[in-house]
Amino acid sequence: MTGYILSVVTSVVVYMIAGLGLNLEYGWGGLLNITYITFVAIGAYISATLTMGPANSSQAHYILGFHLPWIVGVIGGMVAAGILGLLVGIITLRKLRADYFAIGTLAVGLILFTVIGQDPAIFNAQEGLYNVPQPLSSALDWGLNGYGIMFFFLCLAFLVGVYILCEFLYRSPFGRAARSTRQDEIASAAFGKDAFALQLKLFVVGSVLGGLAGALLVTYAQAYNPAAWQATETFFLFVAIFIGGTSNNRGVLIGIFIVEGLITEATRYLPQIPGHADAIPSARQILIGVLIVVILRWRPQGFFPEPTDRDVKIESRQRGGLAGRVTGLAGLRHGTAGPVELAAEKASAGREGGGT
Amino acid sequence: MTVFEHAIGFGLVTAAILSLSAVALSLQYGVTNIPNFSHGAFLVVASYIAFEMQRVSSNLFLDALIGGLSGAALGYVINRFVIRSFTRQGTRLIIVFIVTIGISIIVQNALALFFGNQAQALHLPIEKAHHVGPFIWTGPEIVIMLVALGFMLATHVLLRYTKFGKAQRAISDNVSLAQVAGINAERIVTITWMIAGFMAGISGVVLAVDTGSFVPTTGFFFLLPTFAVVIVGGIGSAYGAMVGSLIIGLAMEIAAPYINASYKEVIAFAILAGFLLLRPHGIFKTSEERAQLQ
Repeated sequence: MTGYILSVVTSVVVYMIAGLGLNLEYGWGGLLNITYITFVAIGAYISATLTMGPANSSQAHYILGFHLPWIVGVIGGMVAAGILGLLVGIITLRKLRADYFAIGTLAVGLILFTVIGQDPAIFNAQEGLYNVPQPLSSALDWGLNGYGIMFFFLCLAFLVGVYILCEFLYRSPFGRAARSTRQDEIASAAFGKDAFALQLKLFVVGSVLGGLAGALLVTYAQAYNPAAWQATETFFLFVAIFIGGTSNNRGVLIGIFIVEGLITEATRYLPQIPGHADAIPSARQILIGVLIVVILRWRPQGFFPEPTDRDVKIESRQRGGLAGRVTGLAGLRHGTAGPVELAAEKASAGREGGGT
Repeated sequence: MTVFEHAIGFGLVTAAILSLSAVALSLQYGVTNIPNFSHGAFLVVASYIAFEMQRVSSNLFLDALIGGLSGAALGYVINRFVIRSFTRQGTRLIIVFIVTIGISIIVQNALALFFGNQAQALHLPIEKAHHVGPFIWTGPEIVIMLVALGFMLATHVLLRYTKFGKAQRAISDNVSLAQVAGINAERIVTITWMIAGFMAGISGVVLAVDTGSFVPTTGFFFLLPTFAVVIVGGIGSAYGAMVGSLIIGLAMEIAAPYINASYKEVIAFAILAGFLLLRPHGIFKTSEERAQLQ
């Protein structure tokens, strides 16, 4: 039982890192990367093959196999995912509309999925990697669940670090500029913000975090193959972000807990339907699809909406009290918003976007 | 008969199937401005309905027609009960796009729930090969190409010579202007979704006939080549989609003998990525038209 709980909480913590990474891309930047799981997979594959010994050609084929220390593997996985993000970002971000961008990311994801799934020389195709080494597993006597507990706290430490980083970025001039670009690209550009550079940075940081999640995931599971990174995995993360409230770090953590913890684990115990082995995974995915439609229809801001938007509005109303009243009069007189309100809005946009 | 000619023969069949799916998507994308991620659902639902119909009737044409009609019905339902409630409240298009991803997941897994994930196949009459010029085709393959040709002609007539086609083009240019001119935009949009569903459904059935089997994810994996065609041809351009399906279909099959055959789709995705990079507005759109788009 302890082992089971450990496996659930560890995977939830790792998915939280991935969720924060995707939230950087989609929530902050409005970048609809519908193949985020591919970046997680690249992190997993590269970190695993860096730490594994050379491929024994009679059993498995894979590239690399350098027997490097675990932490080097993790960093290598993050760098690899980041480089992939940089390449994809440079290609797709420069001039594409949001829908083209999404389709472009999907094309990249499916190309990699097909090639890695079919070519046994890269990452052993469908059979995938197994016997991925775990750090410190033989250095100490861990007892029954000792290693699992240690690894959980290791992942938790990574999550705390990533969360602090995201919160720091959120409040930083970079984070504010990035979100202002999502809200109004033209206004943000008018304040001298380079939308392409901001979005590319978000995309690379998001990819690196995906790579970290992949590296932790593969260390924990000790095995990895294409079944672990099907296209639908990304949509689980998106639902978590929608539930939590797009762009809100804390909300995303809660969303991941609900989706990866409660929904995935609770549906595992539904009674099996005889002769229908696929019924429960299908039912779970139908639930995910329904959640996407229902949340976007009736609660698009999520259950823990982005905090700053409202705060900024209240703040500007308080600060611009006079301006607000003048606007009221002007509005009465002309039936429209007066120039004063526009000026007040510009000022608040300046606060939101400025500072870099 | 060289490998190359053989590949062109295959490529024309693939292009025929693609053209049905892609012209449908392009029409719907052009008129509603929504990139429909659940387009693959039309194909695969129609395949399963045709498969079920085979228990009742052995006439494959009738089964395909019923399959296509089920696609039309699905198009009606998706638009009327899901998409419309979003567009009416002015939801951003990218959100509607995500909603269509949700629909695609629901339909695909509902099929898996009812029929299981194992491959299903339509019962086909055993056919001998026919030599047509330098090509060798089976009977069903020839029928598939004739069906596609028929649909392309019908699309041409619909767009050029009917009031409906005119209204459709007006809406895809500018909705509010079209409405001012007395066009019932909502009705045109509804019918467009149904036509798209019907054509995509027929495409799904002929895809099942051509490849021999299908699974609930077949539609999803055919979606990307379809998107590739639509973007190569230029969104909203039915004629562009026709040319685009020839380009993508031929490229996929001509490349297949030289690379691993399972990489066929990769060719389509690579062309898609190349076009997104170099000519995201498609091969035909002039810079003037592009300016209008922006």
